[in-house]
Amino acid sequence: MFSKKEIIIPYTVVVCTGCQMTQKREFVSGDVLFAESKCSCGKTARIEKIFGEAVQS
Amino acid sequence: MDFTNFDIEEFFGLGDDTNPLMMLIWIVPIIIFVFYGQRIQLYITSGEIKKGIKKLEAYRNESREDLISHVKGINPSSDPEEKIDRFLDYFTIMPVDVDPGGIIGKIRHTIRSREDYTRQHISSMIPEITPLELGKVQTLLEIASSLQMLYKVVNHMYLTAKKQNNYPLILPLQMLLPTVLEHADAMKAAIPAFRAGQPVGDGIGPMVIGRMMLECTKETVSFETVLARTEFEGRQLVLVKARGPESTVGRPADALEVLTADCSIDVIIMVDASLKMEGEDSATIAHGFGAAIGGIGTERFQIEEIATRKKIPVFSIIVRQSIKEAITLMTRDIADQADDVRKRIQEMILENTKEGQTVLAIGVGNTSGVSQ
Repeated sequence: MFSKKEIIIPYTVVVCTGCQMTQKREFVSGDVLFAESKCSCGKTARIEKIFGEAVQS
Repeated sequence: MDFTNFDIEEFFGLGDDTNPLMMLIWIVPIIIFVFYGQRIQLYITSGEIKKGIKKLEAYRNESREDLISHVKGINPSSDPEEKIDRFLDYFTIMPVDVDPGGIIGKIRHTIRSREDYTRQHISSMIPEITPLELGKVQTLLEIASSLQMLYKVVNHMYLTAKKQNNYPLILPLQMLLPTVLEHADAMKAAIPAFRAGQPVGDGIGPMVIGRMMLECTKETVSFETVLARTEFEGRQLVLVKARGPESTVGRPADALEVLTADCSIDVIIMVDASLKMEGEDSATIAHGFGAAIGGIGTERFQIEEIATRKKIPVFSIIVRQSIKEAITLMTRDIADQADDVRKRIQEMILENTKEGQTVLAIGVGNTSGVSQ
């Protein structure tokens, strides 16, 4: 009666190989581990982790 | 009311002044339970089992609908519903094991024929499908057909017990149902992760090895399996994993066969996810000996056979997790262990090899969402 539903939210962690800035954002379709993109510092940023976190609704 | 003169013998009809009505109240249930006890137990138990079967039926239908909507989303050549339904009913007959000699080769052949057929079947349904989508559809098809099989077997056992009023037949079902439902829950929960191409808990091995491969040149070594060569502290390091980010486990045993034909391997280190026991913490790391690889056993047999023939020691590093964690979106705790696992591999290499030796590190598991 009072049980809450658990929802898993997928997150992607992107780390810049230059400035080491770490950004945690919601997963978007097409994200795969170690895919590279451009960081605002000009160096390469890489997806280091993709994981799910449970939230109660 | 006065309870001080309550007589227990009189109440149960055991005294001299026996009440025939009280005697009947005692005797009738005993007679009923002697003759109809099993049937009553069958009715009580069947209520619980019916709930479980309804859940399995819902999972089967939902997984089928998910699969159909996913296939429809990638432009099939015709309406895929009929073909998918036909495929969900396909079965695999395991080889005769009365004479077990050579049975592993037969099982491998049967399983690989089924996998090849599934791939061809999907490709004919969606002619322009990419390898990434092919892997996803193949995995979703396996999940849907497994859920269909679970539902069919449980329902068959239940209906047979009910038809024959056979209580002992329903007992194993009652005992197994919680485990069956746990596996079915996990499979149902796995669908969104595989549809989205996200890494699952089982992908921790490929994740660690894929990370180590990043700066190296990759080559295909066996079907859906890649290899990279690098150096670590004066040792030759050969890294093997399934080719990501497709949803596949590759063929690491075939890769080992190819490699050992070419060069000498001094140590094999296998990294895999492993089912934790109840009471054990999730995402903990453990070391051990022997080939850490799941599945039906054919890959493990092949690896053990080569390792024994070539006298190569096999070490394993496992990350413990539940069945649900292994096939659903990777949890943060498991993902956070990747760096630690890499350090453990390096420690293991330093402890068990000398400079100039060759080490093979295999990342075992489904590599969905994990590139290299």
